[in-house]
Amino acid sequence: MNARICIVDYGMGNLRSVEKALEHVGATATITNEAETIRAADGVILPGVGAFPKAMERVRALGLNELIAERRDAGVPILGICLGLQLLFDSTTELGGAEGLGLLPGGVDMLAAEELKVPHIGWSPVRWEKPSRLAEGIEGETPFYFVHSFAPAPEDADLLGSAAYGARFACAAERDNVFGVQFHPEKSSSAGLRLLSNFAGVCAATPTPA
Amino acid sequence: MILYPAIDIRGGHAVRLTQGDYSRETAYDADPADAARRWADEGAQFLHVVDLDGARAGAPQNLDAIQRIAATVECPIQVGGGLRDPDSVQAILDAGAERVVIGTAALRDPPFLQAMIDRHSNRIVVSVDTRDGHVALEGWTEAGNEQAVDVVAALSTQGVPRFLCTAIEVDGTMQGPAIAQLTKIAKSTQAQIIASGGVGELAHLRSLASSSPPNVEGAIVGRALYEHKFTVADAITALAATAA
Repeated sequence: MNARICIVDYGMGNLRSVEKALEHVGATATITNEAETIRAADGVILPGVGAFPKAMERVRALGLNELIAERRDAGVPILGICLGLQLLFDSTTELGGAEGLGLLPGGVDMLAAEELKVPHIGWSPVRWEKPSRLAEGIEGETPFYFVHSFAPAPEDADLLGSAAYGARFACAAERDNVFGVQFHPEKSSSAGLRLLSNFAGVCAATPTPA
Repeated sequence: MILYPAIDIRGGHAVRLTQGDYSRETAYDADPADAARRWADEGAQFLHVVDLDGARAGAPQNLDAIQRIAATVECPIQVGGGLRDPDSVQAILDAGAERVVIGTAALRDPPFLQAMIDRHSNRIVVSVDTRDGHVALEGWTEAGNEQAVDVVAALSTQGVPRFLCTAIEVDGTMQGPAIAQLTKIAKSTQAQIIASGGVGELAHLRSLASSSPPNVEGAIVGRALYEHKFTVADAITALAATAA
């Protein structure tokens, strides 16, 4: 079945490349912030680049925080990408700190990159920390493309993947129907497409909520 | 090492020049996004895009094509060609490039380079084009006197995170990269180096991967891919041959 996936538009980030990548793997992608369209979708992607506090401000101004929590409760698969992953957590220390969506317990903090330059920009191998439908068919230590200065600290049970940049950091999380990746699958070549295809598969396999 | 398939844009089309000479152009794809799509489908991890018209004019001339490429592929792209002021650099980043390649202006305008490093950090690549070890400027039509090793060492202390080193005498010839010179440059810096020029067969990539210093992180390949000497997938495998 062809999954209908909404890419949540809150005015931050290049959403077109996520849309193109989803279409490439056979999903129907819509960039929107309209509640009714998002409610009708089989899956929701929360993208984003930029600063966490500003992003949350916009998400709240559009009422998307409540809508995303509602979709989570309805069992709809949700995937956060990059800043979108960070927003799923409780809070960040970025720019004096801000509250997140709280769908994943834990905080977001600056990378402990040691002597390396932040932001971390480039390809880094990802180690899967637990089996997941999202990572199906993607070997451990496959490189993905990263652009970020912050990373989340999920609970052990939610830790899906990690990568190293100076120190090791969490780069993927999963809790029930909530998924998040710190890297950009839409910029990560065939492995990224596979991950998006896996997400579309999860969305298609989840019964559409009323 | 990372393979950077190259897409040079002139007049809206994908072309290759031989030894940087604008009168020795070979046209390949009418739409550069087609070339980008092809390389990406074959598994490219990065694309190297040059706006040749921009390099000549001193400001981006093919923003539409660049935007189209960025939106077309599932891999990051770096873009160069005539980036000499903050607005041009911003326009390229806004068009969807992950990295910008600054050439002539990096050498001519140190305050501009410093400002770009402060603002964009490791999104900045400085391109150093050499002819017989000397730095060449102005879209290669102008020769210089400075030694490339000295220039790279000096810019590294200014915080340049990554250099693109092109040996003009071998570029577009497919006769093999200038490894000895590249090694000399790479050893003069802690920064990352991308090698460009001369790759014509997989053996060239294997020797780059096995005999270059560890900070040579990638290689640009242009003509050899357009002329089907090997595939992107084969090139990636060749570059994965571990360094000694």
